[in-house]
Amino acid sequence: MNGIDGDAYDEEPGAGGEVHGEEPNDGWPDGEDFDGALLEEELRQAAGVLDPMPPGLLQIAVDAYALHDLDARVAELTFDSLVDAIPVRGATHAPRMLTFSAGEVTVDVEVTADGLMGQVLPPQPARVEVLNGPQPGVPLTADDMGRFTTATPPSGPFALRLRTGGDVVVTEWLRA
Amino acid sequence: MRTGAVPSTAYHDVPYTRGGTVDRTDVGALVQSAADGDAAAWKAIVEGLGPLVWSVARAHRLSDADAHEVCQTVWFRFAQHLGRIREPDKAGAWLASTARHECLKVLRNARRLTLTDDPYLLDRVSEDGTPEQSLLEAEEAAAQSERVRRLWQEFEELGERCRQLLRVLIASPPPSYQEVSAALGIAVGSIGPLRQRCLRRLRARLEARGAM
Repeated sequence: MNGIDGDAYDEEPGAGGEVHGEEPNDGWPDGEDFDGALLEEELRQAAGVLDPMPPGLLQIAVDAYALHDLDARVAELTFDSLVDAIPVRGATHAPRMLTFSAGEVTVDVEVTADGLMGQVLPPQPARVEVLNGPQPGVPLTADDMGRFTTATPPSGPFALRLRTGGDVVVTEWLRA
Repeated sequence: MRTGAVPSTAYHDVPYTRGGTVDRTDVGALVQSAADGDAAAWKAIVEGLGPLVWSVARAHRLSDADAHEVCQTVWFRFAQHLGRIREPDKAGAWLASTARHECLKVLRNARRLTLTDDPYLLDRVSEDGTPEQSLLEAEEAAAQSERVRRLWQEFEELGERCRQLLRVLIASPPPSYQEVSAALGIAVGSIGPLRQRCLRRLRARLEARGAM
């Protein structure tokens, strides 16, 4: 009776972002989108033939399910020199500096052509595994200062799994 | 929601993988099931959204190798965050957005940048015909693949913005506008008009070449 009911919501803008025929169509004869939809579908089929998702990649993504681990804490990427740092002029081989954080645990990582160096903070001994996928990774040991190093730089996606005390922390997957 | 849906009967014999087409309304449930240990649900997510992630990498003109690694990274991270994702029904947008950010990092890291070589792509098709093609009659296939090739060539030569938008839109199954928005960092409301403009432009190019 007081006019406040649901009808007003019909006016709510932007819910679907839909654009119907009102769009000026630059003199194109048909305002209907039907042909555009056909062309889009034809293009979709072309992409399916000429540039499909590679089957090998599909299998890798299916197998990635093994990385699902609710017991481990995820250390999120909080600093990436590729994004957050101003590049030094002329420094073409500047190391990639990464910082991951999970609660009070921080992991600093430096990736160069010569390998990977890192430190667990606060400093503590830890068992570290460099993962390149669902398969077991390369085991390393962090010293009493929490420092660890490996002479092989990760290629492709990598993550670090750290065991400190009873705690398991895995860094967010990242491309080196 | 999309306005441009075409009756699926028009291309019931689509030659490429539609495998586990994910109904977008089911994504949230699938993510939940996968988080609870259902490997089949995970596979359905990968099959339904994998092509979208791939298309985001290609929309950014990443090379085969870079696109491969970006997609791997995205799926590894998604598996890692499974069960912690705040809005499971928006997993497609999460994947698209993560892929976009990884692509931008690749582009930023200039030493790794390799532009996709269009002629190479086209050559590759002519050299090793896809299994799908063998399903067609030989003559028909020749005419068809010529048409497909010309269409793809005109598409590749569209302006960068149009090429990028369409490359994501033509993922299969078709992404939602929300996913496209996450993939390219453009507002949902501008996708419809841009899409129409780009398709018109593509059609004009095809007509100019007498290819339609």
